[in-house]
Amino acid sequence: MVRVVRSTVLESPIERVWEVLRDFNGHDRWHPAVATSEIERGAPSDQVGCVRRFRLKDGSELREQLITLSDLEQSFSYCLLDTPIPLFNYVAHVRLVPVTDGDRTFWSWQGRFTTRRGEEQEMARLVGEDIYRAGFAAIRQHLGEAA
Amino acid sequence: MACIFVSSVLEAPVDRVWARIRDFNALPRWHPMIAESQIEDGLPSDKIGCVRNFRLQNGDRIRERLLGLSDHELFCTYAILESPMPLENYVATLRLTPVTEGNRTFIEWTAEFACAPEVEEELAHDIAQNVFRGGFDSLKRHFGG
Repeated sequence: MVRVVRSTVLESPIERVWEVLRDFNGHDRWHPAVATSEIERGAPSDQVGCVRRFRLKDGSELREQLITLSDLEQSFSYCLLDTPIPLFNYVAHVRLVPVTDGDRTFWSWQGRFTTRRGEEQEMARLVGEDIYRAGFAAIRQHLGEAA
Repeated sequence: MACIFVSSVLEAPVDRVWARIRDFNALPRWHPMIAESQIEDGLPSDKIGCVRNFRLQNGDRIRERLLGLSDHELFCTYAILESPMPLENYVATLRLTPVTEGNRTFIEWTAEFACAPEVEEELAHDIAQNVFRGGFDSLKRHFGG
C-alpha cells in the first residue's frame, strides 16, 4: 500500500475554499489536468455515491465515485473506479480546517493505493505532484492568491 | 457545551514543534502563563493518566489529567481536574499536522466544557485568547510563523 500526503495553507477563508472544492463536478474549472467532467446518470454532484467521469487533457478518461461528503467537517473522500494508469484500490481524502490566526485555510489531500511492483515511486510522484500539488497551485490561482 | 477552536501555522517542521510540546510537564518552558509544573506521584509525564499540577504566573493552581498522547498522530488530550475557573467537564486537545508545502506545522487547540450560560462567552474568550493564542504566540516567537 502506497500512501501519499500533501498539505498546504491558503490565504483565503475556509468558506471560499470549500465553496470551490465541495463541487465534485467542478474540477474541470480549476484543475489543470482535467479537461471535462460530468456526473453520470445526471445525479447531483453532492449525492454520495455519484460517479464523475473525467476526460484528462491527454485524452484519457477516468471514473471516480464520491464516498464521503461533509459540510460540517469540510471534507470529502472518493475512490477510483476506472483509470488508464496502474492505480488500484485508490481512495483519496480531502480535508479543510480553518486557520483562525489570519482567517486562512489548512488543506490536506491524501491518498492510498496499490500499484504494480516497481512503479510505486513513479505513481506516488504522479499523485503527490501532478494531482495534489498542481491542484493546490491551481486553486491558489483560481482564488486570486499569489503563489 | 461550549467549544473553543484556535489554530495557527508555525514555520518549523512538526518534529521540532512536537519535541517542544510533547512533554506534559513542560508548560513552563514554552507557555508564558505558566510559572511551574510538576507531575503528581512521581509518574513519567507520558504515562496516560498522570496528573500535572501547575501554577500560573498569577498564582492560580490547576490540575490536569493526561487522557491521550500520540507520537504517531501528534496530539495530546487532557482534562481539567481542578481549577479556579467556574467550569466542568473540560477536555482539550492540542494537535499538530505537517504542512508539506514549506515543511511547516499546522497547530490546533480545541476544548469543550460546560459552565453557567452567563459566564460562557467570557470564559471561552479568555481561554481562547490567553491560554491558546498566548501559547501559539509564544511558539511563533520561538519558531517563527
